[in-house]
Amino acid sequence: MVNKATEIRSVTSDRTLSQGSFLKAVGAVVWKDLRAEFRSRELFSAMLVFSLLIILIFNFALELDVKTRQSVTAGVLWSTFAFAGTLGLNRSMAIEKDRGCLDGLLLAPVDRSAIYFGKVISNLVFMLIVEAIVLPVYSVLYTVNLFQPGLLIVILLGSIGYVSVGTLLAAMSVQTRTRDILLPILLFPVVIPVLLAAVKASSGFLTGAELADIMLPINLLIAYDIIFTAVALMVFDSVVEE
Amino acid sequence: MQAKPLTLRVLDIVAILALGIATYMALNAPTERVMGEVQKVFYFHIGTAWTALIGFILAAVFSVVYLVTKDLKWDRLQLASIEVSLVFFLITIVLGSIWARPAWNTWWTWDPRLTTAAVTELIYIAYFMLRQGIDDPDRRARFGAVYALIGGLSAPITFFAIRLFRTIHPVVIGGTNPDADGGFSMTADMRTAFFFALFAFTIIFIDLFWNRIRLGDLQDKVEQLKLRVTN
Amino acid sequence: MFFQEPTPDTSGYMIAGYAITFLVMALYVASIYLRSRNLNKDMSILREMDEPAPVQAKAPSPVKKMPAKPGSNKPAKPVTKRSRKKQP
Repeated sequence: MVNKATEIRSVTSDRTLSQGSFLKAVGAVVWKDLRAEFRSRELFSAMLVFSLLIILIFNFALELDVKTRQSVTAGVLWSTFAFAGTLGLNRSMAIEKDRGCLDGLLLAPVDRSAIYFGKVISNLVFMLIVEAIVLPVYSVLYTVNLFQPGLLIVILLGSIGYVSVGTLLAAMSVQTRTRDILLPILLFPVVIPVLLAAVKASSGFLTGAELADIMLPINLLIAYDIIFTAVALMVFDSVVEE
Repeated sequence: MQAKPLTLRVLDIVAILALGIATYMALNAPTERVMGEVQKVFYFHIGTAWTALIGFILAAVFSVVYLVTKDLKWDRLQLASIEVSLVFFLITIVLGSIWARPAWNTWWTWDPRLTTAAVTELIYIAYFMLRQGIDDPDRRARFGAVYALIGGLSAPITFFAIRLFRTIHPVVIGGTNPDADGGFSMTADMRTAFFFALFAFTIIFIDLFWNRIRLGDLQDKVEQLKLRVTN
Repeated sequence: MFFQEPTPDTSGYMIAGYAITFLVMALYVASIYLRSRNLNKDMSILREMDEPAPVQAKAPSPVKKMPAKPGSNKPAKPVTKRSRKKQP
């Protein structure tokens, strides 16, 4: 892992903060995470299996007959993503901390925000891959067509909001004594607007509601994504400095 | 410990008096026709809600100031503000529930205001759990500031988000139809009691806030002394 | 709207409401008071440990004792003066 950090340092060491080096740094962080994950697949398999198990639990917890399915699918999907998401965020940050990658990254002469963006993108990629598998599985299990472009956009926007706040909060919680347990406690209350809007928009698309009605929660999602990514970007520095 | 400054001692007494007078005024205000005596909790419900919300907003402001200046004084202010607001908001939620029971025949409703209140309360409870897990005071202050900021931003967004759904929370001020579900219009007497309650709770908040800040200062001093003595 | 409808007696709820308000606030004030009392106790114990104290060496103390160092025996007064200035 430290080799990857050295790689990043060598990539950026002979440059000052030019735009090229910023993007390169972001790319380096993302690439490091993806490559590591591709080799071990520990995060990915954990998130995937967990998601499938959650869907299974929902099957027993709720009466998912044909009629209720329509109203409840969006909620079940987003609950699944929210819970599996914490798993991914926790592990992703814990790996950084435990293997000393974070320290290596911090020593590199890059803008901290590059590290933030890098982590957000890699966490987002993991989350999207899991979602990409859960969707067809759910579709098959419950004979409902989840492959509508509107729904996919909502899932993308919602995941972005979730991951941008989640990465920041995971960076904090991994440095506390309580570690893993703390992330959901910190994250869920703050990410409720995302879940709310995402569920509303998702079920709007699934039940064929008016586009005008659906645009409202989607606008909220976009607003949330922009506001919180901006804020997280500004404060990320204070969270990782020693 | 250093003796309480005179201003604070006076403020303590003023706060208790204000609470007493507000209670007297509220209890003697005209009884609302439709829901009876229980409406009188409304004066305290709004009083605590209003001050608690201002407290949370202040806390977010303190966050920004701390992150910019790195002066721990702002962290102490933030901690005091959030703690007092948390207590006040708890009272708000409980009173809201007590009012809801006879007025709408339910202990809880998932309308925007109550739901946002519950979420907000949880955010700031999480704030304390975050702080408890960190030993280094500087890191604790930094993380606390970040979370109070994020939380303070997300709470109003939650409120507007839930407004996508219909509300059964009464719209009191300016509501001219007294038959609206649980809503009511206020007579002049009720208005005086209402505004005095607001005033009283502001004073009580400031008093508790100041006292809590002093407690925080004392805590810091003890910690510093502990470090020095055990070295 | 039937104006003959009597106003329901909900005073029980009202009393519960006020009682809870006073109770919660009283508990919070008590919490601040108790915490500051404990801290003051800690403060006086710590100050004692700071003093040059041959007496202290014989007396058993619940707090871990440190061997006396040349620089650590500062008189308590400067601490008080400095902190008094910081009074809000």
